[in-house]
Amino acid sequence: MSAHDESLCSHCFLSLGRRPMRHTVNGASCAFCCYGCCIAFQVKSGKREEWDAAWILIRLGVGGFLSMNIMLFSILLYTGAFSGADANVLPRIELLLWVLATPALVILGGPFLVETWFNAIRGRLTSSALIVVGVGAAYVYSALAVVEQSPRVYFDTATMVLMLFTVGRYLEAVGRARAARDLEPLLAAESECATVVDGGAATRRPVREIDADTLVRVRPGERIPVDGLVLEGESWTDEAVITGESRHVGKGVGSSVVAGSINLDGPLLIRSSGPGTATRWAQICRSVRDALSRRGPTQRLADRVVAVAVPLVLVLSVLTVLFWAHRLPFDRALLVGLAVLVVACPCAVGLAAPLATSIGIGRLAQCGCLVREPGALEALARTRALAFDKTGTLTSGKARVVSIETEGVEADEALARAAGLERHSEHGLARAIESAAAARGLEPVATREVRVVPGRGIRGSADGEMVAAGNRVFMGDLGWSSTLSLSARARSREATGHSVVYLGWGGQVRAVLSLDDLPFPEARSTIEALRDRRLNVALLTGDLVQAAQRIAVAIGIDDIEAGLSPEGKRAALDRLRRDYEVVAMVGDGLNDGLVLAEADVGIAVGSATDLARETAAIVLPRSGLWMLPWVVDMARAVRRTIFTNLMWAFGYNIIALGLAAQGALQPILAAAAMAGSSVLVVVNSLRLARLPDPSPPLPRRSTPETSGQGVLPILGPVIEPS
Amino acid sequence: MAYYLMLFAAGFAGSFHCVGMCGGFACALGRDPGGRGATVLRHLLYNAGRLTTYCFLGALAGAFGQVICTRQGSNVPLLGDSIDFAERILAVVAGLLMICMALQFFRRLRVFHRLAIGFAASAFAVALRSLLRARSRAAPLAFGVFNGFLPCPLVYAFVAEAASSFRPLVGVLTMASFGLGTFPAMLMMGGVGQILTPAWRRRGVTFAGGCILALGLITLSRGIVPMAVHAPPAWAGGHAG
Repeated sequence: MSAHDESLCSHCFLSLGRRPMRHTVNGASCAFCCYGCCIAFQVKSGKREEWDAAWILIRLGVGGFLSMNIMLFSILLYTGAFSGADANVLPRIELLLWVLATPALVILGGPFLVETWFNAIRGRLTSSALIVVGVGAAYVYSALAVVEQSPRVYFDTATMVLMLFTVGRYLEAVGRARAARDLEPLLAAESECATVVDGGAATRRPVREIDADTLVRVRPGERIPVDGLVLEGESWTDEAVITGESRHVGKGVGSSVVAGSINLDGPLLIRSSGPGTATRWAQICRSVRDALSRRGPTQRLADRVVAVAVPLVLVLSVLTVLFWAHRLPFDRALLVGLAVLVVACPCAVGLAAPLATSIGIGRLAQCGCLVREPGALEALARTRALAFDKTGTLTSGKARVVSIETEGVEADEALARAAGLERHSEHGLARAIESAAAARGLEPVATREVRVVPGRGIRGSADGEMVAAGNRVFMGDLGWSSTLSLSARARSREATGHSVVYLGWGGQVRAVLSLDDLPFPEARSTIEALRDRRLNVALLTGDLVQAAQRIAVAIGIDDIEAGLSPEGKRAALDRLRRDYEVVAMVGDGLNDGLVLAEADVGIAVGSATDLARETAAIVLPRSGLWMLPWVVDMARAVRRTIFTNLMWAFGYNIIALGLAAQGALQPILAAAAMAGSSVLVVVNSLRLARLPDPSPPLPRRSTPETSGQGVLPILGPVIEPS
Repeated sequence: MAYYLMLFAAGFAGSFHCVGMCGGFACALGRDPGGRGATVLRHLLYNAGRLTTYCFLGALAGAFGQVICTRQGSNVPLLGDSIDFAERILAVVAGLLMICMALQFFRRLRVFHRLAIGFAASAFAVALRSLLRARSRAAPLAFGVFNGFLPCPLVYAFVAEAASSFRPLVGVLTMASFGLGTFPAMLMMGGVGQILTPAWRRRGVTFAGGCILALGLITLSRGIVPMAVHAPPAWAGGHAG
């Protein structure tokens, strides 16, 4: 067989012919002789169980069997196949239709009846009530007609209407399952099992029962269930769900692994570093579940409209029947009323927003962007202004040495001495100086007798002379002087918002190190991309005006407010809101939580690990600033889809309602139109899944794992924006 | 009657195609743990589901033909000396469709691959898969019903034939004959599927293609040759509507 595999249909093993149909099933490329075989093969060999609603299908199949038989005989009746000589079988055929219709009504109509009942006892009238009333009337009328041997029965209408609505419901379920597919890896955290190794035995246990210091084995292809350290094995992992990095990350003994990432190709033995419920993955899972269970503002509005519409439609259909009963035989008038009920059923409205939103949330989640509030997507789509926090959002928030001004000594010597001294300090600037030296391959000069002077600087002794680094006041305390030119340069640095460290030895200030927080390389392109989307960008920062201005010029923001306290930021947000109505705030989620919560949409970039305390509605992954334009695109696409969905759903209803009330629409056609509107909504929403993924900017930043304290590789000429 | 016998034969020959495509389903349905009787019942239900779908499609197609070929306001299809133009067009279209299908069986033409794409198809596949795994007694019936809607050139060919009959009853009987023709092979699946080699199935499919080609040519001739118009109703045993 294998020799002929190429030329045979993968399903029926007949030869393929000249133009076979190719399709990828379970990752393997297959060839089929015809489309039917392609589907049949997917049925037999597909592995993924998308939903467990087989019972709806059985109901649909058995109901279909009955209603197709009813339809078949009804078609024969309508086309006069039993007229003339066969006319005496007519009553028997009608009885047969009754016998077939009764179980069909129970099987297909049951769920609608149950739904109506449970809502009715809570005092609510839902759209399924319309179906129940309409179909019930058609059935009762037809049953009476059989008893009275009247010539017209409408069992076919009753069952076909139910059938079509069930098909619509089923397709909705399919759409929902499709929408949930992207969310599956996120929602799996609560249901996932892990292979726990205890002594020699391996047992499967739910992730939520796993504590710290448990040994867990992860086979290739499995999802890593807990945070931890690798004890054995080597493998590549895919951390896209957590970090948004689609790049594969290599792991070996001693590397830390993140729960939720996929172990790609080698078995790993992991020691968990915390309980299974405390991982970021589990937090994301809970947060996404929360978001999905809430309804966005548009959907709430649509729900209110539906709540009002249902009783109105009931009244309208009764009026329609009364109106037509004067002009037509009663059974025809009843059919018109049924058509009105069926066509006004706002089934697709309930699906319009949730489906689009959950597909959008799923797509974003795939790239590590977390939406904690469904309304946030809609608000972001309406946003006309974005306010950025500076430190940690547009800049790394970590100081880097950007220039060394010296007087009579080499920059490298100064840096080596400074590094030797700052090694002993815990100050944030000290780390930056150390790594700047390391990046240039300088050996720190050995320094002893080091003393930290709080609020001033640090001093010690190297090569028998005193070395000191600190602020200007510290140098003054020590009585050390500097040349006029050096202090002038130092002052101009300070004036432009740099952090300045004076370095001296041998009783004199010899060098001035300027440190600064540099913007992320992708910040400028991100701001430009946002401008292209007709968004106004503002910078709100608590930093000095000069520092803010320098960063703003470097990345191209004109609207700056600096020196703001958290309250000041809130006031600035209010001002922006007056101009632009809806304003989003982008921050790092660490020290601007209040402001993020205050904005219409709070967006946190690379936030803290504890999602539970997160106040932002949208959380981008660490170093995910470049995704922001794409997130805006996605939000706009979701909002557009929701609107087109609602337009379809409502517009369809209103137009068809007019036709039905005039008696121009058969009930079966009306039901088909309704099922069609559900399909349209589902298909329209699924288009969201086909939007392109975000394209990372070039060049990419170094990954979080390898980037330690930031350092500017070249220390010579300073990148100083004018 | 000869007409329906021919359809039955075409269905029987065509079921060699079914053995490849749908026979796998019959196998997958397999034996019922409830014993031999339950197994037979299960397969009868599956095939009854399939047959119902075919008959329904036949009735729809026949009614469609009748609607097209009926004068406005009248329920009596036009027969007799004035041959309705639409009727001829329908016969030609149906005939050509059947010939296309037949050619597809001979691997000469493939135009119907992408009749249904994307969402609908994969949803359908998933639907059938979950039914195959369901434990319910009614599942085989439901499965059969859906199975009948699987895109299949054989079924399309006979639906085209049913449409060209212009009468729902003839359409139903056409599809019923075809469906019953596929019964023996499908009922015996599990045994036959492994005995028959692909080469033999290939021959069966070619034979089915031949039958469909012949039917297609007859239908086409009904559209082109005026005298042939009344032939199928005569075969149908006088159900002239």
